[in-house]
Amino acid sequence: MPIGRKIVLITLLLGMVLILISIIAISAGSAGGHFWETLAILKGKGVSDHATATIIWQIRLPRVLLAAAVGGTLALGGLVFQALLRNPLAEPYILGISGGSAIGAIMAMLLGLSYFPGVALFSFTGSLLVLAFVTALAGTTLGSSMLSRDSLLLGGVMMNAFCAAVIMFLISMTRTFQVQHILYWLMGDLSRLQNNQLPILLVVLPCFVVIFILGRPMNLLLLGRETAAAMGINVKNTVLLLLVITSLMVSIIVSLSGLVGFVGLVIPHIFRLLLGPDHRLLVPACILGGGSYLIICDLLARILPASGEMPVGIITALVGAPLFILLLVRRTA
Amino acid sequence: MTGNIYLILTLLLVFFCQPVEITAGSVTDQVGRTLVVPENPSRVIALAPSITEIIYDLGQEKRLVGVTQYSTYPAAAESLPRVGSYVRLDIEKIVALKPDICLAIKDGNPKHTVDKIVGLGIPVYVINPQNLQQIMDTISRLGSLLNAEKAAAELVSNMEKRIEQVRMRVNAGRHKPRVFFQIDAEPLFSAGTNTFIHELIQLAGGVNTAAGEVAYPRYSWEDIIVLQPEIVLISSMAGGLAPEYLIQSWKKWRLLEAVKNDRIFVVDAELFDRPTPRLVDGLEIIAAILHPERFIKSNNQAEE
Repeated sequence: MPIGRKIVLITLLLGMVLILISIIAISAGSAGGHFWETLAILKGKGVSDHATATIIWQIRLPRVLLAAAVGGTLALGGLVFQALLRNPLAEPYILGISGGSAIGAIMAMLLGLSYFPGVALFSFTGSLLVLAFVTALAGTTLGSSMLSRDSLLLGGVMMNAFCAAVIMFLISMTRTFQVQHILYWLMGDLSRLQNNQLPILLVVLPCFVVIFILGRPMNLLLLGRETAAAMGINVKNTVLLLLVITSLMVSIIVSLSGLVGFVGLVIPHIFRLLLGPDHRLLVPACILGGGSYLIICDLLARILPASGEMPVGIITALVGAPLFILLLVRRTA
Repeated sequence: MTGNIYLILTLLLVFFCQPVEITAGSVTDQVGRTLVVPENPSRVIALAPSITEIIYDLGQEKRLVGVTQYSTYPAAAESLPRVGSYVRLDIEKIVALKPDICLAIKDGNPKHTVDKIVGLGIPVYVINPQNLQQIMDTISRLGSLLNAEKAAAELVSNMEKRIEQVRMRVNAGRHKPRVFFQIDAEPLFSAGTNTFIHELIQLAGGVNTAAGEVAYPRYSWEDIIVLQPEIVLISSMAGGLAPEYLIQSWKKWRLLEAVKNDRIFVVDAELFDRPTPRLVDGLEIIAAILHPERFIKSNNQAEE
């Protein structure tokens, strides 16, 4: 099958899965199941009960949209970094974005700022500072201006270690009730976004498009930089563009959702196992699959606890790690 | 004199309220937000345990349709539907209960959650009591919100009377003991100046050794030895540890005045960390611990 048709087919298939999962997630929640009401709304009929309509339209639908955007962005971020660094353990936070944004967010919380715009802006600024530092470091250590993959990786790991120490220091100085807010942020939490902030999520769409266009160059980068350069790719510019665009979209998402973990690590691996190494296929698959996956996790986070909800970051690894090991075993067997 | 003023005020109130005989009115809550509240709210959700408590104290529990996770007092509140914990409210459940008003507390309910509820068209009245006087103000406000002005006035005057009694008894005491109030263990935390605990210690005729700008300062045992508390009060919730264990952890520091004189007490945490009328119970307990001679004597006179 030609690659173009394959891309369309996979995109349509996963798109349908995403829509189906979204309908299920909108139908269920702590206030009970509303499957028929959701179907009625889809058919264009209204819902007579005002409370039910509010729950479906203004509480669950925005949550599902946010989960889709966060999941898609993180999975795509993981995919790009795994290709750029040629390291299977890479994930969207590996270059220190998580550490920088967490320090920013925690400082804003300790200053008593509101989640929006206060915490979100501090967190975004924190991750940008880290990004600037890591790219500068990677450039200088190599001597030339080309971004070295190992120095990038090591710089990021060191940055995260340093930030982790600062985070632990800040937490140790904080009283219990604030620690809870900080921990929820660190675990990733989709319950904070206000509905009027949803349009911010649209910023990730152009990033998706640019990364999709860079799918073929990413395939060539996997063969090694020399080979890629020989095939006519401007390695330095491509790497830099991917690095900056990916970090930007991840930073924006993190500033709104906190550090939702594991999605960015496991989803690219799952699709690589299922679809092979072609990034032109993997980019749309990770966006749609990551979105679907986080919607499911968020649904579980909302309905599993008897009272309240738990941070979604707990579910992502709880479900994702066994799922991935299962796939791995079946693949090698 | 004051009777006349009240009469005039009441007449003025009646006069001005006459033309606005509709079903809702605009009020300003304790953090300065203006909101439209229903005239006679019948479906109220209390977003914190302290608010649940005050509503029961006002005898208005028939209006309550939802409470939060740790609303354990009075025991009857345990059977009401839960809407998550006060820091992590379940918005879906709140909406499903169709409240006509939610009552929130500034120190506790996150602002983004309150904003969300308001965004869904549910009025939220936020209370923000920071000291005993403001708790009484809160009770009056909630009383008028729930059409229970009379019950609120009685509750407030009862609190005032009991506070005044404590004040009178301890004022005659010359010595003000140095009190360390331990709210958390491993690490040790106490309560600074801007807390209910500080106010209660002062009213009870003691000196708070943790007085200072930091609301909840942290201590090491070294600091404690420098502070030399004469009396140690330990919150029963401290560190989730057993009371005997908490007392034992102090007993090894024999050079402390409080240990030498065996004046280490575990007190019920609920009486000190919730902005409700029960703080006055807490006040009476601290006062009796700090100045036992004054309270035992009075009890012999069979006052109450």
